[in-house]
Parts: sequence; C-alpha cells; structure tokens
Amino acid sequence: MAGGELKYDMSQNAYIKLVLHALKHRSSAVNGVLLVDPTTTSSRLPTLSLFHNHLGLLPPLEISLIMIEEYYIAQGLGIVGYFHANERFDDAELDNVAKNIGDHIYRYFPQAAILLLYTRDASKNWKLAGSDGGSRLILKEPAANIVLLDFISSQKWQDVVDFDDHLDDITKDWLNPDLFK
Amino acid sequence: MVTKTEETQLNRLEGQVENGGGGAWDYLCFVRKLKVRRSDKVLKYGLSILNDPKKRSSLGPEEWTLYEQVAIAAMDCQCLDVAKDCINVLQKRFPESKRVGRLEGMLLEAKGSWTEAEKAYLSLLEDNPLDQVIHKRRVALAKAQGNMSEAIEFINKYLEIFMADSDTWRELAEIYVSLQMYKQAAFCYEELILAQPTVPLYHLAYADVLYTLGGLENLQAAKKYYSSAIELTGGKNTRALFGICLCTSAIAQLTKGRNKEEKDSPDLQSLATAALEKDYKQRASDKVSVLGSALKSLKVSS
Repeated sequence: MAGGELKYDMSQNAYIKLVLHALKHRSSAVNGVLLVDPTTTSSRLPTLSLFHNHLGLLPPLEISLIMIEEYYIAQGLGIVGYFHANERFDDAELDNVAKNIGDHIYRYFPQAAILLLYTRDASKNWKLAGSDGGSRLILKEPAANIVLLDFISSQKWQDVVDFDDHLDDITKDWLNPDLFK
Repeated sequence: MVTKTEETQLNRLEGQVENGGGGAWDYLCFVRKLKVRRSDKVLKYGLSILNDPKKRSSLGPEEWTLYEQVAIAAMDCQCLDVAKDCINVLQKRFPESKRVGRLEGMLLEAKGSWTEAEKAYLSLLEDNPLDQVIHKRRVALAKAQGNMSEAIEFINKYLEIFMADSDTWRELAEIYVSLQMYKQAAFCYEELILAQPTVPLYHLAYADVLYTLGGLENLQAAKKYYSSAIELTGGKNTRALFGICLCTSAIAQLTKGRNKEEKDSPDLQSLATAALEKDYKQRASDKVSVLGSALKSLKVSS
C-alpha cells in the first residue's frame, strides 16, 4: 500500500452486526475482529463477533483467531482490526485486554485499527482509537443508522451468533450467514 | 447457574407468552427462581399483570413480590418512573421496610446518584450489618463507577464473612480476569473447585486461566483440568476438547528439543482431536474443513 492516508470503509452490514452484537449483551463487554482484503487500498470490512464473556482469557481467543484465519485465508482476507465495546456505557477508555489484543494484531498488520463503541448521548458514535487519530472511518452507506434502527425495533440482535455462542453450541454458526437475509 | 434444560424451558415459556399463549406469571416466577436477567421481558409481562386490576388481585400476597421484581427490571431498563411508581406502592404497603429501603437505594444507583446511594446503603447496613444483598449492592456501586480496586476490596471483605458464597467467588474471578490479574483469578477458581469439585465449569475456567498464565507447569496443570472437565461432562464440552489441543501444542513448543522420554504421550491430543472432528461432522458439517486445518496448525511435529 503506497503512502497516503489509509481510509477505512465499513460496509453497512458489518457496522450493523457490531452494534447488534453489543446490544445483545448489553451488560457485558464484547469484542470482535475486522477483516480486510489486503490487496486493495480501500478496504471493505466484514466483521466477526468474538466474545461476550471473559474477554481476557487466552484459549478461546486463540481458537477463534486460528479458525477465522484458516477460513478467510482461502478467500485472501486477513484480520485487520479489533472491535471492542466496554461493559459500562460511559467508559471510553481502552482497557488492558483490548490494548493487548490490539497490539498483537497491530504487530501483524501495521495499518490495524481498534474501534471502540462509545455511546455519547442517545446516539451511537464511533471513536477511532489506536495508533492514528482523526476520524478516518467512513460508513459506505449513510443510511446504515436507519436500517440499524429498524433492526433494533425488530429485536434482530437476538440472532447474532458470536464465537462464545459457537463454542457453547457448535451448531450455531459464527459466520452468521442468514443474519441479513 | 442455569442448566441447559432450564434455559430451554425458560425460552420456550418466553416464546409462548410473547405469542399470546399466556403463562406470564409462570414465566416471571421461573425468572425469579433462576435469577436470570431478562429485564425487558419481565418489565413488559409484569406491567401487563400489574396494570390489570383483576389479574393483580388474583395474585394475592404475591402481588408485592411482583412489584419488587418489576421495580428492579424497570431500573435495569432505565424506566425510572415505572420503578418509582412500584416503589411508592410498596412503601405505602410496607412503611419502614428494609427491603423497600433497599429498592430506594437501587433507584438512586440507577439514577447515577452514587453518593446518595452509598449513604442509603451504609445506613441500612448500620441496622443490619449482615445483609448480603446490601453488601453486594455496594460492590455493584463501585463497579458502576469504574472503581475496580474498591469493588475488589469490598468483595474480599465480604468473602471474609461469607466465604461459602460461590457466586461471589465467581464474580471476583471475573473481575480479576478482566484486569488481567490471572494469579488472583486462579486462586478464586481453586476455592470454587475445593468447595464444589463436581462442577465442570470451574475446572474449565481454572484451566483457561492457567493456560493464559503460561509456563510449562501451568500448561501441564491446565491440561489436567481440561481433562477433568471432559470427564465431568462426558466428553461433550467443546471448549475443554479445544483446550487439550491448545495445551498439547503449547507444551510441545516449550519442550522442543528436550529428552524424548519427558514428552507427553500424543494419545490425549489425538483423542481430543477425534472427538472434535466427530462432533463437528455430526452437528456442524460445514465447519469440518476449517476445524481440520485449525487442528492441523496446532499439531507440532515432534
């Protein structure tokens, strides 16, 4: 990737999925990873929800990252970023667990980003934390928030499956293929 | 802790009520019994009963329990007016009640008035220093303000008195894990395993913490606890099976080049791998190839 700013495009579905995951587990911290096709400069980011319990434990994290890598390597995608939402709604700090995981990913992919879901007032806003400042996150489809509201009112968050759910019951698919059908 | 059967039962009941099939009171009693947190549903169904005078009077003395349950659910959903109304009703019926006083403290908490809430709890504790629920509310208060060290301090003081409270040991362990204080978390899980050695979740959590701590001794101990978790769950626990594979791989990495006799036998890992593959083939066949390549990447050539 040549010089210049790296912009992060987030597809509507990716964005919605992350917020729905956080909504499903509103009394705990949640995390997930962002994927990218490293051969393009502007990356569309699909996302994968990881956990809502014990985010600081290594074994489930290792298993999930290995499985995600194995699955997506065949498609030429790699893990580019890390998404985290804190347990308390007004907590805008990245805790140590998030920092450690983020650093790990950053080591393998220097343009990695950490996204922290931070609720300010009644609207959900993204704050781009991590090695770069400034707001370089672009929502490809600006109507995403409207679609999100629609999903929230139909309680769509109950259908989000994360890796924790998969490890508890392997019949649940962490790829969430039917979430947006 | 809730078993899978209980959870399925609860979900079925919830679906039934949601689709107009009745059973709201049964659902609310079940939620109370299992102590699960389904505040949006409790609020919805509870209010539908409380706002209907006929349904309300048919509850008899259980009406007050429902008011309490709905008040707490309302606070969890930030419907503070509803909570205030329920508490007022309870206050009229039970003036000077400590239990209602507790609810008032929780309402202050829900509003974010931390100092007033703390004052309310402390005064309740003066009259009843062994009230477990109030002690736990003080911990929750500290946690809500992000003051983890204070929360830990309160929990430790609580456990000096109520050392058999396994839920509190679990809460403490989870806080330690979130702060990456793994040694302390391990201690909590050790206490839990000592108190209740046949609960597989404690073995599993302990093994996870040991693995996270790392180092050869911890990894070998982790392997033992993953094995006991597998034994206690009849081989059905996916996390424990994965844990075995991770441990074996990590141990092999650490002992590379050492004397061959010291190496563990590969039986355990192949058994775990086989069990995982069989389970995935049966229940998640689209993921079998991902599983296969993941497990292959874990196998370290000896």
